[in-house]
Formats: sequence, C-alpha cells, structure tokens
Amino acid sequence: MSTEISAYPSSVLVGFIQFLIIIVLAPLLTGIMRRIKAITQKRIGSSIFQTYFDLLKLIRKDEVISEESSWIFRYSPWIIFSATLVVAFFIPILIPYPPFGLGFDIILLLGLFGLCRFFLMLAGLDVSSAFGGIGVSREMMTSSLLEPALFLVLFTLAVTYGSTNIYTIVSHAAEGSMMISASILFSLFGFFIIVMAETGKLPFDNPATHLELTMVHEAMVLEYSGKRLAVIELSQSIKQLVLMILFINFFIPWGLSTNFSPATMIGGLGIFLTKIITLGVLISYIESKVAKWRLFRIPDLIFLCMASGLMGMIFLYI
Amino acid sequence: MVYNNLLIFLSGTLLISTIVLVIKREFSGWIQAYRYQTIVLTIITVVIGYITNNWEIYVAATITFSLKALIVPRLLIKVTENISYDFKNETKPYLSIRTLLVGSAILVALSYFSTQQIRLGDDVIAMSFLPVSISLLLIGLLVMVGRKVTLNQIVGLLILENGLFLFVLSLTHGISLIIEIGIFIDILVGIVISSILIHRIGYTFDDINDVNQSHENLEYTEELD
Repeated sequence: MSTEISAYPSSVLVGFIQFLIIIVLAPLLTGIMRRIKAITQKRIGSSIFQTYFDLLKLIRKDEVISEESSWIFRYSPWIIFSATLVVAFFIPILIPYPPFGLGFDIILLLGLFGLCRFFLMLAGLDVSSAFGGIGVSREMMTSSLLEPALFLVLFTLAVTYGSTNIYTIVSHAAEGSMMISASILFSLFGFFIIVMAETGKLPFDNPATHLELTMVHEAMVLEYSGKRLAVIELSQSIKQLVLMILFINFFIPWGLSTNFSPATMIGGLGIFLTKIITLGVLISYIESKVAKWRLFRIPDLIFLCMASGLMGMIFLYI
Repeated sequence: MVYNNLLIFLSGTLLISTIVLVIKREFSGWIQAYRYQTIVLTIITVVIGYITNNWEIYVAATITFSLKALIVPRLLIKVTENISYDFKNETKPYLSIRTLLVGSAILVALSYFSTQQIRLGDDVIAMSFLPVSISLLLIGLLVMVGRKVTLNQIVGLLILENGLFLFVLSLTHGISLIIEIGIFIDILVGIVISSILIHRIGYTFDDINDVNQSHENLEYTEELD
C-alpha cells in the first residue's frame, strides 16, 4: 500500500531514523527495566546506561572459543544479529508507512525470529556442554508451544484489520477511535503474555539468575564471550524492543503520526517514548509480583494465550 | 446502539477474567482471581443499571460487590487458614488445566453458537450477555467436574453462581429486589455452611495427619526397643 509515498527520499530518511532509534534505544530500555526491577526490590540498582558500558566492555574483551565447536558456533551470533537488524529496518515507529517501498508481513517477522531462535539453539547444542543442552531443550519446548499461540493471536488481529501487512494493521488500528471489536481485547491479552515469554520475563525465565537449574536463555549463550556475546545481548535487547513496539502499535497506536510533517512526527515520537517506557515499567512491576513458575506449568500459561486467541477468533465470527 | 461496543467489550473482559480463574491451581490464587471476576461482574451490573435506568440494579451491584468480592473471599481464606497446603493445591486434577482451557474455549464457542438461534429482537443487553452467562455456567460445571480437591471444586460453584446472576440479569433486566436479596442471602448461607464443613474437614484431616505421625513414632520406638 501507499508505495507512491515511499518514492520520496524523505521516507527513506525516516526509515533510517526509525532503524537508528531502535538500535540505539534497545539497550537503554533494558537498562531502564533492570533499574525499575531493582527499585521494586528495594535495591538502588545500576545506572540505566549500564547496559551500554557492558556492551562496550564485552566488545573490547578477548574471546574464548571452544576447540570442539564448529563453524555454527562462530557464525550464529552474526546470523542472529543480521536477522534482528532486518526486522529492525521494517518496524514502524514514526509513521505506519513502508519507508523503503516494501511491505513487511507478520509471517516474515515470525520467520526471522524463528531463524534467530533456530541458530541460537544450534549454537547451544554445538559446544555440547551440559547446560547448553538443558537450555536448548527447554527453549524448544516453550517455543514450539509459543509459536502456534502467537500465530492464533496475530491472525485474529490480521482478520480484524483485513491484512497481514504490519503497516496496514497499524494504520487501520491508528485510524479507529477505539478498539473496533472485542476480539482485539483477547489478542491483546494473549500477545502481552507472549511478549513476556519471548523476552524471557519472570514467570517463564529469569535472565538475572545464574543458577543453572532455572535459566533458559542464559544457558544457551553460556559458552559465548567477548564480541559474540555482545552481539547476542544486543540482538536480544532489540528483539525485546521490537516486540514491545509491536504491542504498542497494534493495540494502543493512538498518537502515531499519519503524515510526513516533522512536527507531528516529533510529537508522535514523544508520545511513543512515553508509551514504551510505561509499558516497560508495567512489565517490570508485574515481574516483581510473580515468582518463576515450574517449567512444566509454563505450558498452562501458553495454553491460556491459545484459548484467548481462540476466543478472539470466535468473537470475530459471531 | 451506542452501548453495543461497550457491552461486547465488557463481555470479553468477563470471559478473560473467567479463563484466568480457570488456570489457577491453588486456593489463594483462585480466590484472588474470583475477586477480579466479581469486580468485572459488578461493573457489568452497574452498566446494565445505567442503560435500563433501574435503581434496584445498582443495589444488586452493591450487594454483589460487598458480598462476593469482600465477604466471601475473606471468609473462605479465614476458614481455610489451618488446612495444610496439600488439601488446597490441585496436583492431580481429573482434567488437566490445559484440557480445561481448551474445553472452556470450545464451550464459549458452543454457547455463542446455541444462543444465535434464539430470537432476542433488538435487546442489546441480552444479546451480548446471554451467551457469556451460558458459557460461564458451562465452564463452571466443567471446572467442578475436572477438579479433584474438594476446596477447589468451590471455584466451579462460584463461577456457575456468577453465571446464573448474569443470566437472570441479562434476560429480565433486573428481577424484583426482594428476590435478588433472597438469592444473595441463600449464597451467604450456603458459603457459611460450606465453610463450616471445610472447617470440619480441615480439623479431621489434621487429626488424621496427627494419627499417622504418632503411628510412625510408635513404630520407630518399637524398633528401638
């Protein structure tokens, strides 16, 4: 849609600005969420810019790579990073129009995230350490359940707004004055739980822990160090930011600029930043309220998403 | 109608709060979820009262909130304080939580499908809340059948009871206040009786535990001899 608008060079510029905002702000959001979590636990916590310092430190450090590892272990951080960057190019922040003249489909997004996860799991298995194996088997269990739930929730959304193209969904959502049907409510509920699961938040995974028995994501990247660890951490932050942006743009898109005038776009950016920080604070607050669930109870929560998506579908067809 | 969107929205919220109630496994968790569900039901009652412009429904909403969101949960928590955790936590239900969730989604579909056949005219309230109330009834029955622990079977009963309340409200737009209050007193008496029973159950089970322990101690001392 609206491919003629993207012929302007300004739209390409806007696309690059969006890309830069995602890349630069992703570690900051992680830092803010860590800080909020620390405050809710009555700790002072590290500075919100600590994640940048961590990344810089990791980039400067030497790497240790196991002799037993194959090329998969060495290349998968770059594959994960590039797939995440491709996603970051197409996520609408300022305006719901395709900046590079290409539409971006939800299924492509899920496919790129699936590619990231596939290579992360392969890298975890490749070095054949015990913890890698544990983390990978857990990740496989949750992701194989999460994906159908995510599909159900997103298809509810796609059927409601009449397209699987992200820009169409976001612009239709932004035009409506309120949520146009109750099925959006069900997919909001399901998508929120999925965002918590995909970004490794507390009922599902606890990234802050270093107890081997409870970690999922950390166990897979345990063997990485130096630059490759920095790349993986950065792509994890970007993935978190992208999912939260999608949540905001799909379900609370009001305030999004609908034309290319700079004033409305800067205003929209301000509203967007407020929304995303509020969402981050909300997620960290929920994280402080719940404990880590037992691994075999996690499917219950994911089935809750599926039931929610199913009910959304039912609401669409009655 | 102006209210159509709001009503469908509220029925969606009520269904979400119901399925959140279904996944809770332990006693304190579902009490909390039941409280939220009742608050949503109260909001629905107030909205129906506003649309039909009937002051009796506001009274019913106040009683619903104070009875089901404040008194009943506190009573149940207080009564079950001394019961050991094993009798409150659902470890091996007859139907697993996942089956319950998928089953309740199917029941929601079923109730919407079956109420589509009824001609309700242009009654917006009945059209949006009748299917929800029937699905609440069916989900309550399913939960009651699926759980093994006696305490947790009350969840099903309470969901069913909320469903009945909504059913009556959506079809009649507020029955006479006297009947409403009578029903509420029935619920209160029922909960009081069941809590006395729960108390007795807890007492007996604690006794059984004690007997077992003293038995073990006895065997131990015999071995020592």
